[in-house]
Amino acid sequence: MMKEFKAPSLVLQYLLAGCCLLTSGYLLATLNLPFNPTSALKERQSVRSTTACTEIVKPKATLSRSQLARLLTVPERSSRRNVQQIVKEPYCRLPNVSIRAGAKTEREIHPLAFDPQTSLVVLYEGETYVGYGFKRP
Amino acid sequence: MWDMVLNVLKDERAIAFSIVLLTAFGCTPASMTESPRDIQLSQKWELQPGDVVAGRQVLGGLGDISLALNGDAIYAPFDGRVQPYKPNCVIFSSEEMPVYLFRLCGLNQQHFGFRRAGQALGTGDELRLALLTKQPDGRWAIVEPSKKIIEKMLQPS
Repeated sequence: MMKEFKAPSLVLQYLLAGCCLLTSGYLLATLNLPFNPTSALKERQSVRSTTACTEIVKPKATLSRSQLARLLTVPERSSRRNVQQIVKEPYCRLPNVSIRAGAKTEREIHPLAFDPQTSLVVLYEGETYVGYGFKRP
Repeated sequence: MWDMVLNVLKDERAIAFSIVLLTAFGCTPASMTESPRDIQLSQKWELQPGDVVAGRQVLGGLGDISLALNGDAIYAPFDGRVQPYKPNCVIFSSEEMPVYLFRLCGLNQQHFGFRRAGQALGTGDELRLALLTKQPDGRWAIVEPSKKIIEKMLQPS
């Protein structure tokens, strides 16, 4: 009895599964939705490669509201040491880049303690603090 | 048994409906309109690209590097944003490189909005590129771009 009952239900299950697959395929095709996992993966990898840290300095480092407030009072083009005394060690460093002729720009990342989705990017050129920006994912 | 089939069909209809809703409201690409970028230059040169002198448009000025693109593309050096700036010029900015801006004039086909590193910013025959750096007073000064960054922008990554 059990076998007789199981066999048709299995067939029906396969039929339904097939129908589901066909319907989703039809929907993907007619609605012109992208179905290309490899390209999505490539895109994600390329994003990571452009924004990835080259060196993790202090995995638990975050920046508090008061540290940020103190940093904003430091004028741009002042000494790197002044800024580093306030922000302490960064979470990580982005790759160094040469944008301006004759200068190497170093970038350090400080995630905000009160908004972990946002990081403060601090730029240095040699011993000079050049400026800051906010980076969102 | 038919109940099950009907339920599955109902589910399918719900899925199809959600997909249609998502496509209509959730997955539409962001608006391609970009607000123009306004910049205060610290250098007080009389003529800037986009200005008009005796009825002729100024195409490039002091601090611009002219590049023979010959119809090819120039690429984003970082993830960033392209905004219109004066006639025939755009500004490229990046959160990863907050104190620098690129002013690009002479692009024929411009792509406004968010661009990923390595994506084309536009194509042109003769590109005039200027690098601007932020001054402590909030204005922008034209500085000399490095050969490395220009090389990076001329090659897709």
